Amino acid sequence: MISKRVYVAWFGIHFFLITAVCFAGLFSLVAERATILPSALDTYARKAELLAAWPLGKHAASSSPVRRSIATYLHAAGIQSGYTFFAPNIPGYHKLIFELNYEDGRIEYESPHFSGKAAALRLDSLLARLGDNRYEPLREVVVKMLALSIWRERPDVKKIRATFGLVSPPSISDFEQGKSESFQPIFSYDFSLRDEQKR
Amino acid sequence: MIRLQRQWQNLLEFLFHPETDTWLAVFRIGMGLQVLVYALFLRSDWHSLFSTTGKGLVSRELGEAMVSFDSPLIPKLGWLVAFGRHLGLGEETVLSIAWACLLCMGCCLLVGLFCRAAAIIAWFLHLCAAESGGLLAYGADNFMTMALFYLMLSPLPDRYSVDSRLVKTKLTAPHLLGFWRRVLQIHLCFVYFFGGLAKLLGSGWWNGSNLWRSLIRPPFNLLSPDILVRFKYALPVLGISICLIEIGYPIFIWIKKTRFLWLVCILAMHAAIGLTMGMYLFAFVMIILNLAAFGVGMKVPFIGNLAGGSGSFSRSSNGPRDASGWGCHAVLFRQSLARRRKTREKTAKSAIF
Repeated sequence: MISKRVYVAWFGIHFFLITAVCFAGLFSLVAERATILPSALDTYARKAELLAAWPLGKHAASSSPVRRSIATYLHAAGIQSGYTFFAPNIPGYHKLIFELNYEDGRIEYESPHFSGKAAALRLDSLLARLGDNRYEPLREVVVKMLALSIWRERPDVKKIRATFGLVSPPSISDFEQGKSESFQPIFSYDFSLRDEQKR
Repeated sequence: MIRLQRQWQNLLEFLFHPETDTWLAVFRIGMGLQVLVYALFLRSDWHSLFSTTGKGLVSRELGEAMVSFDSPLIPKLGWLVAFGRHLGLGEETVLSIAWACLLCMGCCLLVGLFCRAAAIIAWFLHLCAAESGGLLAYGADNFMTMALFYLMLSPLPDRYSVDSRLVKTKLTAPHLLGFWRRVLQIHLCFVYFFGGLAKLLGSGWWNGSNLWRSLIRPPFNLLSPDILVRFKYALPVLGISICLIEIGYPIFIWIKKTRFLWLVCILAMHAAIGLTMGMYLFAFVMIILNLAAFGVGMKVPFIGNLAGGSGSFSRSSNGPRDASGWGCHAVLFRQSLARRRKTREKTAKSAIF
């Protein structure tokens, strides 16, 4: 009986955390105006998100042992993020294009890549994160690392211009009319081996 | 007070309903295959994904720094690399060993050798990889971590494993098997309910544009847009159906009459995701989770029970049941076996005389 109580207690805590994570994710979508719900609900959704995230220790300082313990458990159990995949809508996808300028004046275009298909899905996930405003401080560092990987393969490249942008695929009717996807640059960086300067 | 006690008893009966270990065998074998496929799929890119600055595509250290911000106690590959350094092993060697170990653990889980240890090591190594490559992680990683976490805690080994053949172990308490299956079942209900709800809140799922967008965008564009255009009138129906199947899952999967239909719909959806979008790992782990949670022991119309196990184990159902039913059933099975043995002996005697 005692062991059953322990199991039930764990069950309660575990699913309480899952519920909190899921609701926090859902309210965050509403607060970001990504849903069909009226914008009047934004402020309530933001408050509800904070409320849902409270049991996860998000309000505490990042050094708080409670916050860290909860975060460790969530990551260990694989329940740190909600289940809002491909929801509420599917935006365009992101593309990172490297313009490779060689010493002899040649110009080539290249994209970061892996050799396997499974890893290509991961790259898409990385690019989606780079497009997210929350990851803005990391953008330059990550793009620089990706440029460096290209440099390792082509040591004779003199300069690399990295352009990151959003690709909007055509709608069905646009596609039927022969329209193709459009590319909208968001940011670009120029890198050279000796000095890196942000544009 | 009595009402509360009754509710508590009902809750215990629901959570600890007796179960066979067939679902656990399906779960273990499925996760063994999943780990194996995961390791093999990433074989060529393993070092590019998890090396430090100057060797990998994106530095492992960056992902680990981000994870450490959440909590420094979250396992990561950096721990293994640091440990390896103490032993005089380089980063590449440690990463190769980690990959080989993961592959080995997948094989062990598949055949059921050292089940518990294999499940713990597989969970730990996968978690390290998923967290170290945090920037490159996607949904399949979360589900794999979750599934391996439950597998590690489940009452292994099952009777189909090599472990139980080598060492004659007692059958695990049926109520514990039932508890862990319930956890898996309820977790899946959360996954689909919130997934379906979030989709219903997007206009694109009502008019089919989300399906169109998801199927034509790289790297998921395995189908030609020209083929998709031919089915443009079916896309809104499919989009709404996906939302309804997901949001209705926590209700209709528990109703005996609709369970088979709902499970088939969900499995078909995941199979389609795998085949049309190339998300094989994601599709496979979801199919395994669904089969282990609701597929095993389920009554299939016109056929009967689906892989319900043998003898006394074939009657396992997913619905709540009286805990004492298990014991009675096992006794009945033993009695029927004894009766059959006696009849066989009598027949043999009469044949001799």
